[in-house]
Amino acid sequence: MTTTQAPPTEAAKARRVPGQPDMWVLVLVESLIFTSYFGVYLFYRAQHEAAFLQEQAHLDLWLGIVDTIVLLTSSWSVARCVQNARAGRYPAAVRDACVTAALGLLFLALKIAEWAGHITAGHTLTSGEFFTHYFFLTVIHAVHLLIGLVVVGIVVRQLADPRRRDQQVVETCATYWHTVDFLWVLIFALLYVAR
Amino acid sequence: MLSASNKRLFAAWIVLSAITAAYLWIDHSADDHGTPVASTSATVGAIVLALVKVRIIMREFMEVRHAPRLLCRLTDLWVVLMAAGMLGMYFAGKAVA
Repeated sequence: MTTTQAPPTEAAKARRVPGQPDMWVLVLVESLIFTSYFGVYLFYRAQHEAAFLQEQAHLDLWLGIVDTIVLLTSSWSVARCVQNARAGRYPAAVRDACVTAALGLLFLALKIAEWAGHITAGHTLTSGEFFTHYFFLTVIHAVHLLIGLVVVGIVVRQLADPRRRDQQVVETCATYWHTVDFLWVLIFALLYVAR
Repeated sequence: MLSASNKRLFAAWIVLSAITAAYLWIDHSADDHGTPVASTSATVGAIVLALVKVRIIMREFMEVRHAPRLLCRLTDLWVVLMAAGMLGMYFAGKAVA
C-alpha cells in the first residue's frame, strides 16, 4: 500500500533556525551549566535558609528590578535590530545595536556600583555562603555580558559596511545577547527574590 | 507607525516588564512585617515566573516561534529540564535539612 504525503505548507517551508545552529548548541549547553549551578545554590539555600535570608536582606530588590528591565529592554532592542536588518533598514538596525550596547554598559555600571557598595559594607566573596554565590553568579554573568558587548560590536561593524552584511551573523549575535538576558532573569529570581 | 512584528516585540517587552514588577508583590507578601522570612511558595513562584519569562524571551525575542518544530520542542523541553533541575534540587535540599 502506498501512502501519499501532503506537501509542506508555505508556513512550514518558511520555518528556519534563527542564526547559526552552532549558537543554539551553545545556548542549550550554557543553560544546562548555569542550571546545574542554580541547583547547587538552591540545594544549599534550602538547608541554610536563615543564614541565606540574613545576608540576602542586604540586596536591594529595586536595583535588581532596574537591572532586569535594562537588560530586557536591550533584548527588545537587539530583536528590533534583527528585524530592521532583515527588512534592509540598516541605519535603524545600527541604531538598535548601539542602543543595545549602551544598555549593556548601563547594566554593567549598575552592577559595578552594587558590588562596590557590598564590598564597602564588608560583604565579600568570602564573608558568607550567600555572598559567595552572589559574587560568583553575578561576576560570571558579567563576563558573559562583556563577551556580548564584543558580539554587538561585531553586529555594528557588519551592518555599517555594505560589503560585510550577513543576516545570519546578525541573528547569531542576537541569539547570544538574548541568552545573556535570560540567564540574568534566572539569576535575579534566585538571588533577589527566592526565600 | 509600528509594524505588526514590532508591535508583537513591544507587547512581549511589556509582559516581561510586568512580570518583573510582579516580583515586588512576591517580595512583599513573603515578608513578616518587613522582616524577610523563608517561604517555599515565594521561592517556587519566583522560579516559575522566571521560567515563564525565559520561554517568552525564547519564543518572541529569539524567534523560536518561527523556527523548525524540533527547535521549538527542544527549547520547551529545556525550560522543563531547568524547572525540574532547580525545583528538584530545592526540595531535595529541604528534605535533607
